[in-house]
Amino acid sequence: MMFWKALRQYRVKGLLILISLPALVLPTISLVYILWQGLPALNWQTLSGEGVTGFGLEHGMFGQIWGSLLLMLGANVLAAPAALGLALFFNLYANDNTQRTIFTLLHLLQSIPPIVYGLFGLFVFVHLLHLGISLLAGMIILAMIILPLLVLNALHALKAISVEQTESARSLGLNDMQLICRVWAPLAWPTMLTGQLLGMARALSETAPILFTATVFSGVLWPSSIFEPVTTLQTHIFYLAQEGGNAHVVSIAWGAATLLIALVLLFSLTALFLRRIDQHHRIS
Amino acid sequence: MILLKPGLYLITSFIALLVLAVPFFLVQASAPFWASAGIMVLTGTEWFPYEMLFGMLPAIIGSTWAILIALFIAIPCGVATAIVTTELVSSSLASATRMGMEVLAAIPSIVYGLIGLWLLLPLLQASFDLLSGHSLLAAGLILALMILPLITLMSMDALKLVSSTQREAGMSLGLSWEALLFRVLLPQAWPAIRGGILLAMGRALGETMAVMLVVGSLDRMPEPIMNVLQPAQTLTSRIGREIGEAAFGSIHFSALMACGLLLALIGLSISLFAHTRVVKA
Repeated sequence: MMFWKALRQYRVKGLLILISLPALVLPTISLVYILWQGLPALNWQTLSGEGVTGFGLEHGMFGQIWGSLLLMLGANVLAAPAALGLALFFNLYANDNTQRTIFTLLHLLQSIPPIVYGLFGLFVFVHLLHLGISLLAGMIILAMIILPLLVLNALHALKAISVEQTESARSLGLNDMQLICRVWAPLAWPTMLTGQLLGMARALSETAPILFTATVFSGVLWPSSIFEPVTTLQTHIFYLAQEGGNAHVVSIAWGAATLLIALVLLFSLTALFLRRIDQHHRIS
Repeated sequence: MILLKPGLYLITSFIALLVLAVPFFLVQASAPFWASAGIMVLTGTEWFPYEMLFGMLPAIIGSTWAILIALFIAIPCGVATAIVTTELVSSSLASATRMGMEVLAAIPSIVYGLIGLWLLLPLLQASFDLLSGHSLLAAGLILALMILPLITLMSMDALKLVSSTQREAGMSLGLSWEALLFRVLLPQAWPAIRGGILLAMGRALGETMAVMLVVGSLDRMPEPIMNVLQPAQTLTSRIGREIGEAAFGSIHFSALMACGLLLALIGLSISLFAHTRVVKA
């Protein structure tokens, strides 16, 4: 009797805990499984490619890491000024109607799947503008993908500044440029930096849009200009993963995946850490 | 100083131009396909590019099934996790879960594809006695794992934002824990949770790499239509598999652009739906 009573009393809680169990254990399981598969494959031989042949493995992974980082940096360098400009325009010159339009458009842009940006880039940059499959095309596409994220983050950062501060700066006779440099920038930079780091993490983890616009399977080690294709960690994992017959190749894919996750987490966890510090700072 | 205003106007109009360019060029690129095949291809069931058969229905049904399976698993699990972590357990365990979800959200999609291909497919193959494990079920499961953090984190935030006066008023009325949860907390948090679900739907719709590796890329109708254990195709996996071999300017290329246009339209309508509902609420 006691048992049934307890069961009746706690059935909702029990059921909820039961349903939520996967979410509580899956992050650990996934991460441990990836590391378990990937860490053994990471050694000097696979990184440098010495003494390995076939499947584009003979070049090691440094070229691919370099390609991924180049694409990430290029995308962020292109997108950051545009995002900052739009956010400043939003706060300085846009009226209510324009602000609402910009906001809606940003959300709409965010809802277009990344692969569609890839198709757009393939049609416009690769073929119509004759950039070919190149680093530059990939950078522009990734920049377009992370732009809404960066703008929304910058708007969030500027919105957190109290109206009193802006108004007292205005009443002291500061012009737009002084207001931006002396009042907004010192207050908003931690949040801006967080957004930029998240943008970097995002640019590193996108694979589909650059698969057919910026990367090749192998043959390029160090691109000599932005008009050449690159090899990246993301696409390399994709090609290696499908070599089902060769266990060694698949294990190297896991190694590359571990490297990629380490890079992405480096950026996104730093961003989350910064955000937490910033929040504490604001509360205290 | 003098350059600031025109500079900002220039940047803004450039971005606006870029925004307009995306739909414009998608329509332009897919125009030859629509002109030659007509709108009825949306219900066609055969896709053989080399015989000029471009039926879209198998991939549309594949995408729908994959999204439905993912939502069916991820919504209960995510919302339950949010309730358990915000209402039941200690705050340190809650922040550990949040951390875990943030890490899960940061894992790139191609790595999920790797997990799906080399962990999930053998498991499915063994448990359902399938030929290879490539199936819509596999795609749905891997998508569920990918959108779970999104739904969980949004629901956690939503539940935390329910004001403590509401909570205390409910408690002072002597409501049981269940009544408080179902009559006060969930109804208050629901608009934000629904927003999270719609966002997750958009993510699942556009996910390419992971789905492409596990779905099998076999372009035919599921037989019968409820069968999710066969290799199949989604809109995104079709684009990813075939865009490399479609020559620029061919009808095949144009057809894949049309698939992209379709994806963009579905994504936009999900977002618009979410937007109008939130504004109304």
